[in-house]
Amino acid sequence: MVSRTEAPVDTYAVAMSQQTQYAMLRARARQLWVQLTEGDKPWVRVGLGASGQAAGAEEVFEALKPYGPDGTQQINLSLVGAHGLMYLEPIVDVVVPKINRVFHANVTPEMVPDIIAHYVDGREQHPMHESAFAYADHRDAFTTHLPNWDELPTNSLQKKVLTENFGNIDPLDIFQYIAQDGYASLNKAVLSMTPDEVLEEVKTSGLRGRGGAAFPTGLKWSFLAPSPAPVKYVLCNCEEGDPGAFNDKGILESDPHRLIEGLILNGYATNSTHGVVFIRQGHEIPIEATRHAIDEAYANGILGENILGSDFSFEMEVSLTGDSYVAGEETAMMEAIEGKRSTPRYKPPFPAQAGLFQKPTNINNVKTIAYVPSIVGRGGNEFKNIGTESSSGTALVCLTGHIKRPGMYEVEMGMTIRQVLEDIGGGVPDGSERIKVLQTGGPLGGVLGEEAFDTEIDFDAMAEAGAILGSGGIIVGDESTDVVDLIRNLVAFNQFESCGKCFPCRLGNTHMLDVLDRMCKNEAQPGDMKLLETVGNNMKIGSLCGHGQLGYNPISSAINYFEEEFEQRFNGELEKSGPFGDGSMILPSRTRP
Amino acid sequence: MPDPIQFTIDGQQVEAEPGQTILQAALEAGIYIPYLCYFPHMKPYGACRTCVVDTEANGRKMTLASCTATPMSDMVVETKNESVSELRRGIIELLMSEHPHGCLTCHRIELCGPQDVCQRHVDVTDRCTICPKNERCELKDTVRSVELDLRTPLNYNRRDLPIHADDPLYDRDYNLCIVCARCVRVCDEVRGDNALTLVSRSGVSLVGTSHGTSLMESGCEFCGACIDVCPTGALVEREYKWEKASRQVTTTCTNCAVGCQMIAEVNKFDKIIRFRGDVNNEVNLGQACFKGKFGYDYVNHRSRLKRAYFRKGGILTNATPDEAFNAAAEALSKYEPHEVAVIASPRGSNEDNFIAQKFARVALRSNNVDHAHNFIDDVSEHISERWDTAHTKRPIWDIENAHSVLVVSGNPTEDQNVLAVPVKRAAKRGAKIVVIDQRETELTRYADVWLRPRIGTAHMAVMGIVRSAFDSTLEQGDFIRERTSNAEDFKAALWDYDLGRIATYCEVEIEEFAEAAAALASHREMAVLLGADTVPKARHDALVDAVMNLRLLNGTADGPGQGVYPLYFGANSRGSRQMGCRPLAAESPVATLLCDAWGVDFPEGEPMGIGEMIEAMQGGTIKAAIVMADGVNPTARQLSGLREALSSLETLIVSSVFDNEITANADIVFPAAPFSEQTSTVTNLESRVQLVRMASESRFDELAGWQIFRGLAKAMGKTGFEYDSASELFDAICATIPDYNGLSYDALEKGGAFTQTQTDGNDARSDFEITKPDFSPFARDGFYFAPGRVLHQPDRENTLGERNYLNVIDRVELIELHPDDFETLGITEGDTVAVRNDQGNVVAEGVATVSDHALRGIIQTTTLFAELATYMEECEYPDSSPTVPGLDVRRVTVEVVAKAPERELVAV
Repeated sequence: MVSRTEAPVDTYAVAMSQQTQYAMLRARARQLWVQLTEGDKPWVRVGLGASGQAAGAEEVFEALKPYGPDGTQQINLSLVGAHGLMYLEPIVDVVVPKINRVFHANVTPEMVPDIIAHYVDGREQHPMHESAFAYADHRDAFTTHLPNWDELPTNSLQKKVLTENFGNIDPLDIFQYIAQDGYASLNKAVLSMTPDEVLEEVKTSGLRGRGGAAFPTGLKWSFLAPSPAPVKYVLCNCEEGDPGAFNDKGILESDPHRLIEGLILNGYATNSTHGVVFIRQGHEIPIEATRHAIDEAYANGILGENILGSDFSFEMEVSLTGDSYVAGEETAMMEAIEGKRSTPRYKPPFPAQAGLFQKPTNINNVKTIAYVPSIVGRGGNEFKNIGTESSSGTALVCLTGHIKRPGMYEVEMGMTIRQVLEDIGGGVPDGSERIKVLQTGGPLGGVLGEEAFDTEIDFDAMAEAGAILGSGGIIVGDESTDVVDLIRNLVAFNQFESCGKCFPCRLGNTHMLDVLDRMCKNEAQPGDMKLLETVGNNMKIGSLCGHGQLGYNPISSAINYFEEEFEQRFNGELEKSGPFGDGSMILPSRTRP
Repeated sequence: MPDPIQFTIDGQQVEAEPGQTILQAALEAGIYIPYLCYFPHMKPYGACRTCVVDTEANGRKMTLASCTATPMSDMVVETKNESVSELRRGIIELLMSEHPHGCLTCHRIELCGPQDVCQRHVDVTDRCTICPKNERCELKDTVRSVELDLRTPLNYNRRDLPIHADDPLYDRDYNLCIVCARCVRVCDEVRGDNALTLVSRSGVSLVGTSHGTSLMESGCEFCGACIDVCPTGALVEREYKWEKASRQVTTTCTNCAVGCQMIAEVNKFDKIIRFRGDVNNEVNLGQACFKGKFGYDYVNHRSRLKRAYFRKGGILTNATPDEAFNAAAEALSKYEPHEVAVIASPRGSNEDNFIAQKFARVALRSNNVDHAHNFIDDVSEHISERWDTAHTKRPIWDIENAHSVLVVSGNPTEDQNVLAVPVKRAAKRGAKIVVIDQRETELTRYADVWLRPRIGTAHMAVMGIVRSAFDSTLEQGDFIRERTSNAEDFKAALWDYDLGRIATYCEVEIEEFAEAAAALASHREMAVLLGADTVPKARHDALVDAVMNLRLLNGTADGPGQGVYPLYFGANSRGSRQMGCRPLAAESPVATLLCDAWGVDFPEGEPMGIGEMIEAMQGGTIKAAIVMADGVNPTARQLSGLREALSSLETLIVSSVFDNEITANADIVFPAAPFSEQTSTVTNLESRVQLVRMASESRFDELAGWQIFRGLAKAMGKTGFEYDSASELFDAICATIPDYNGLSYDALEKGGAFTQTQTDGNDARSDFEITKPDFSPFARDGFYFAPGRVLHQPDRENTLGERNYLNVIDRVELIELHPDDFETLGITEGDTVAVRNDQGNVVAEGVATVSDHALRGIIQTTTLFAELATYMEECEYPDSSPTVPGLDVRRVTVEVVAKAPERELVAV
């Protein structure tokens, strides 16, 4: 065992050469990876993330099974998470051993025999199926007509830090992760770095919390680290209830081990003993993937007593929310994990003083945690060099709405919103004219008008523009979007999801929704705009937690960019809005299945 | 102790203890900040946000909720500046948008009198008259204090919910609820019951029960704590719901030995209309129970006795008090001292008890005097005589400091309700609870170890724990060496207490003793709740010895969390014992003391307790008796035979509030003044003497107990009873009884006072009690019935019925039996059986089921606590509290009412 305090500089290399636990895991992983990529059979991977499944990837996977190990054994078959290019789902990706990769888009089960025939029954006899849209690695005779995967505009403009394994590895196979150098950072940390050194790397990286508040992560960890309590918790928050945000779930369903590694590193850096991954009830795929990954990690000595042969021990489990959005608020989340009604607590005491079960606790977002392995592995400075001065790293952006190429894209901080929309997202779909409005950062975020599209994606620049980057969701609305109706939908969501504890939020949201409802029905009353402002500001100062404090955000930002439209609504100059054209709306029933 | 924090509120210099919130410090300094969800003795919640204040500290300005924020030194707090007032008004405006507020907006408020007919200036559903708390509403006061302009543009949303008026004792109208969650929190945090919860979320978030069930199924103990904290009219007592109080009197509840301080609200007709716990006292911290909160009402009943009367040949004749005194004196003069008995009342004050025993001993020269509910006499006697009474003078909330709590043979949840609250709170904080009881009670649900020894063997079970603790060397060696002299002898004697034999004798598994020992003997802070419900009188001494041995080995003395709480029945059992109103031997120190004070010899004859007196009446030795019948429960198991005994007397003189089974045989009846119509003192189980204050004057010939004895003595020509007032009598008591030296009504004015400890030093060196074990073989003489009762049975399906428009529990009870007993009783599983007591009354009926935890010879059943609330509602006798049926263990017979239906063979 290596002593943490007197570690020589080259301990890591020494440990690796001495056949440590990790070296053995890695050897096995390499062997498996080589078998898949350089064996004699094509390796077929199907994106079975939520976006793939929604597009019918499950049926495609079923159709592929007869060729796989349980059938004729002509191919190796794996499931992977999401590639991020959601407009192309279901994506089937075939590795032709030692040559290249070919990607097929929008695959249906009927296409499967034709696609597979090319790879197993003779490439000459069977032409490549027309669903192929890109190749990677080497261009060969069969892929001359295809663009290179890395040169696709959706990919070339991305900076993949978090998502480097997306679509490449099976989230349910720990060895595929280890084959991509997974858990190397953890191994390095627990064997050759002190907790303080790990914490220092995170501080150096300038990483800021990706959950919405953008609090410096290293600073947050340093509140917890000195506490001498025998039991300390690090929690990972994957409540992610924002409509239009799916990147946390994306990480869990595509690369759960990255999160687990990050959370263990978080625990190591803060001398904590327990980790809890808190996932929203109903996110079945991420829940299963994470549970499976934790089991695998325990089975391979990566969790539990003496992780990877070090003297650091750490326990981890998955805990589920009720069907509640506010459960994502950090103190409400602790209440939920304790088995209580998920309503926020007042602060202070802050979680680092008395958190889960009154023990010192840190809470971080999934993305924040998932950056940590690469920060520790490559050094904080490398991460610091990505992105802008104040917001280092990348942003995982979820594009939805009126956009040509909806999906999940990782871009460097500092890219403008317009670049993301037009160069990556491809602009408005056919039939639309222009992008009118963006809704960013979830329903408590805000909306942006056209004049703000040149804002850089950066925590501070976004906040200045009146929106928040938050979870990274960007919902795009074209010229047909009725802004007041959009805001009404957001407020309806906030109203429905208010936990009902503090008075301003419980009642204020209801009254704001009332006013917006009137406006959409062209029944606005004098003083309504003033009323929105009064109630909104009272909520902002008076509420207990962020849900109420930010509840006025969507309205205030919309008034900022679309004041004219609000006035028109107020004066009844527009048609009644809503899906039925009578001003009514479809009230949210449940936010998740 | 860290220094207090200095800061300013609205320019005024204020001091806060560390940990105090800004709101608490402000209220203490007399600065009012409006608040709604905060309530004393509960954790801050931070929901209503009406207590927002502007703060500035270290250059940082913040707007904070003062109920959750703690002050920093030199912080500047502003509670009334324009911005914060505006915010506060905005929040309350939101709140009023869903609370009917005609009481604030109607322009006739200033003109409208309480008796006026509403002139319909406001919507029907919004009128002040729909709210039972009109003019006594905390919300209204709060809203007025912020000077809200009620011309709000907000939509008014009335919830239009049905009123829950079908549960016993209280009404819930959630149209008036503001969701401050005080009720939910008091039920959870303070009472530990969790009968209420918040349901749903967002704008429709509301208080309710977890599955929308009736309170009868939700685990409610009908303590009324939620009513007392509700700031609106959402929760109210159904009785006198619409009545307004014109004044209030703080008094002591006389329904059990806890002695809760209650605020009696009195209306303008001098009628007590409400009882609520007084938050500002140390006894109950504002808590009450179903008996105390709802059982005061008998004092208003119209069938109360108003005049004294004689019964001659079956004819009743009214009399003036003097006529009655003379007649009684004449009747009593016929008897020899040993032929007369005096039975004091369980509600009787110290004054009544003192004069009762003085009257018996001096005027009648009889030694037959006791108080009617003196059921655990030997237990408490033993403690107070052989052990320092300091043990039993810990406040009940001190139990929260205990690391373990031992509950022996008692059911505080029903008999001393508020005493069970700190036990439950301690359990929630992680204290180990060990219950020794055959019956399933609420506290057995909190028990880490629940020992169920055979009935009558609790003492041996405790010795089993003692033996097991020594075996595992869990004893506190230092303490034992320092404080005891016979530890080695005791350990040697323990060889006779073979765990195997004890286990067989008690029918308890050996391992359970070890578990109990581990739970109890880990810390010195062990509180003991000592009852004797299921312990035969002959074993009381042995039980106390065993418990005291356990305390010694555990090093438990008189520090925090180390109290002994004797589970007395009757409000003033402890006081009556201290007054000498109990069987006293002539040579006992108390007897000597009394005789010296009175200047007479102690009367001759064997002293008799209540049990012996009943036997003597039946045997004809006692021919006349004076009974103070207020609060006597003739249906109590320990008083079985009382009715027959009284009917066999030649002369029976009774003082009673109502005509009842005892006055039915009486020759002379005095109308008794209930607790609310006299000033007196009672002493609770902590040994705290408290004032019972007069809430209203008696209107007819009602007499306090001491006045009756004074009158009788005068009529008999005896001197020494000429007390002019209760306070004069109390001064005489204080002069006579050493424990009360120095007390007076004035000294008790604020929060009462503990009695003095006279026998200090006893504790410095205490010895183990060494006795030979008695493993005398147990004859299986029929079946015992051990009824249980719990608040909540989520595992049983409950069906509700309706009776008199009220919900009642309507389900088939399970009569649980040991598998071997079915054959003996000739019944099969599934039969409907009736359980009958000695008198032939059915005490339980239900379906016989095999139970894996029933002992041989024991018949068990577990019912729901809510049936007691139903009892309180339906009881025909106006004074319902004393007669609430307890969980009496008694000998029974079982008979089949209906055979089990033949099981149909189902094809697989």
